[in-house]
Amino acid sequence: MNVMSKIRVGATHLAALKAALPHAVLDEAWQTDTQLTITVKLNQLPEAVAYLYYQREGWLSVVVGNDERKLNGSFGLYYVLSMEGEEKGYVVVHAAVPEGKEEFPSVTPKVPACVWGEREVRDMFGLKPIGLPDERRLVLPDDWPADLHPLRKDAMDYRLRPDPVGDDETYTFVNDSKQETTVIPLGPLHITSDEPGHFRLFVDGEDIIDADYRMFYVHRGMEKIAETRMGYDEVTFLADRVCGICGYAHSVAYTNSVENALGIVVPQRAQAIRTILLETERLHSHLLNLGLACHFVGFDTGFMQFFRVREKSMTLAEMLTGSRKTYAINLIGGVRRDILGEQRTRTLQLIGELRVEVGRLVEMLLSTANVDGRVKGVGILDPQIARDYSPVGPLVRGSGHKRDTRVLHPFAGYGLVDLGINVGEGCDVLSRTLVRVAEFFDSLSIIEQALENTPAGPILTEDFTYQPYKFALGFTEAPRGEDIHWSMTGDNQKLWRWRCRASTYANWPVLRYMLRGNTVSDAPLIVASIDPCYSCTDRVTVVDVKKATQKTVPYKEMERYCRDRTDSPLK
Amino acid sequence: MFKLLKEIFRTGEATVKYPFAPLHVEKDFRGKPEHDPEQCIACAACTVACPPNAIAMATDTDAGTRTWSIDYGRCIFCARCEEVCPTDAIRLSTDFELAVTTKADLTRQAVFRLARCEACDEPFAAAKEVAYVQDLIDKTAPSANEAARRRRSVATCPACKRARDVATVAALRFDRQPEETR
Repeated sequence: MNVMSKIRVGATHLAALKAALPHAVLDEAWQTDTQLTITVKLNQLPEAVAYLYYQREGWLSVVVGNDERKLNGSFGLYYVLSMEGEEKGYVVVHAAVPEGKEEFPSVTPKVPACVWGEREVRDMFGLKPIGLPDERRLVLPDDWPADLHPLRKDAMDYRLRPDPVGDDETYTFVNDSKQETTVIPLGPLHITSDEPGHFRLFVDGEDIIDADYRMFYVHRGMEKIAETRMGYDEVTFLADRVCGICGYAHSVAYTNSVENALGIVVPQRAQAIRTILLETERLHSHLLNLGLACHFVGFDTGFMQFFRVREKSMTLAEMLTGSRKTYAINLIGGVRRDILGEQRTRTLQLIGELRVEVGRLVEMLLSTANVDGRVKGVGILDPQIARDYSPVGPLVRGSGHKRDTRVLHPFAGYGLVDLGINVGEGCDVLSRTLVRVAEFFDSLSIIEQALENTPAGPILTEDFTYQPYKFALGFTEAPRGEDIHWSMTGDNQKLWRWRCRASTYANWPVLRYMLRGNTVSDAPLIVASIDPCYSCTDRVTVVDVKKATQKTVPYKEMERYCRDRTDSPLK
Repeated sequence: MFKLLKEIFRTGEATVKYPFAPLHVEKDFRGKPEHDPEQCIACAACTVACPPNAIAMATDTDAGTRTWSIDYGRCIFCARCEEVCPTDAIRLSTDFELAVTTKADLTRQAVFRLARCEACDEPFAAAKEVAYVQDLIDKTAPSANEAARRRRSVATCPACKRARDVATVAALRFDRQPEETR
């Protein structure tokens, strides 16, 4: 679908950038019709990114670092911007950091959304962002050697685990509050969960004044494994395992990135099947989140009912792909299983049942007396904060921004279906929940449309050859928002670089602002409202700064307090 | 509240009796891969395709054997092995109950005999693979002579093949000079 033709989306952005910053642009190249990479001078990188971000309606998708020393003697920095103004497409601002002088001017002071990306580039590649306000590590643990940057090509074997350099936790949590506060740490981890996070709530009585958190406790090093151990065609199965809930979205994003890089035309029927399966995944994911929303407001009967109905979407996935999760249905060039007549009939039947049953449950949830009181006006995400930090998915749509990759940058078979963007104006937990409800019913409709008009023809093409050092973006709208992958092929049937950005990665930085001004008992509810892949916060430690005492409260107790709102564990 | 109660009564019992009753899975469910050593020719196509390296091949030239093995603990049930197998020797069943009491039970093995090279008598490839290819040749070769030549070639190890090729080329008389081919 995304092959090169005469169309060059992004040309107006390029012209505007050249007019605004004369002499900054060194080079430009289109990877596909809608993907433009502009190389700029390193010292003008912040201005170029900020100009495209704020003046041309760009939103930051991901910051990619790349060790290209063997290819051109420098490190590459790629700031991927999703252009959502009049001319929609992806513009990537690229700058080269020469070997030996491994630093670059930080973009974060101008565009706050770059903060996590630049911290990660510093950890993984040892490139120093000059002027970055937040100099803490992001990905690497405190006991990691200071000069070992894992994604440098000459740094380490993927099996190496360096000896810890210390036993102390050196990470400082940031507290911007002006008054005296009490610290409540939530977390950090439960060993069986995939994404443990450590939250510190700075509270005054019951009110959250500020919050900070730390993730990456169980970093799996997937990008390193993909680059070193696996073939480029096997990484689709690894991408399936990025997330236990929206893994298929990653698999599609990865295959798209390689297909775009190599100029592969994926058959229309395969694209339609991918769309159907992506929406199937959204069905079960949104039902899961709606169930959890019930759970966190203390309405456990609703939780049970949503999970019961969710089972139908799992059956749907099992029937169409052969597995309830980790569909493993993608290959570079198409899909591996067709949807036959019998499966089509049963899909339509299950879709009909889901529409009726979920309709009833949603009505029941919204008419339950205490739900409105718990979720309305809670966890406000200010639209301007959202604009500055580029969050994605129902979170940003709940704050009135029309951001949906399926509509803005149609991929897979979304060009074939009729689809709008659901937005909410409340900016709160309720607004995000309602966006998910509306999207659930949209997904049912998309599946029906795609089944109705499935193009005929093959489902897989093998008519392509692997070419070295080609790169491009792949993107999908996962249930939690845009997933974006940047892949570059190597010269050995492997990848040179795979940057995979999950949607929740873009959503964490704004959580801090959403927690401020709410009460402690709302914290788990707010965290759940961004639908983090797995928000496992195992236990709670309460530190009273005034008395310098510490008290540990189990997380279950914290969760109970969120549900019951009686007998505060802080007393 | 009334709606909720109505929903609960309408639903009735939602749980199933598993594990005391068998659990229904869809007919195309991808479960435990079942290997049929009778069909297998030890060609290693599955070994190459397997993304998590659950399927492995180990060659022991002293014993003259090649051991195929699968580790169900590593398997991700993607069915790439089933897809690439030329002889339908591995198929994914709908069995998902893989729990074992000792870790070693997660590994299954099949040992294949190696064929010896016609020229040097060293073991070089699985006997069944050689036989399979020779069988294909018999069915497709244009003439009996050609079939015999190809059969011999398949039954020779790569090193001997190279040596023989060099000897053959050396024995050829080049009537035409390279310039004439321009």
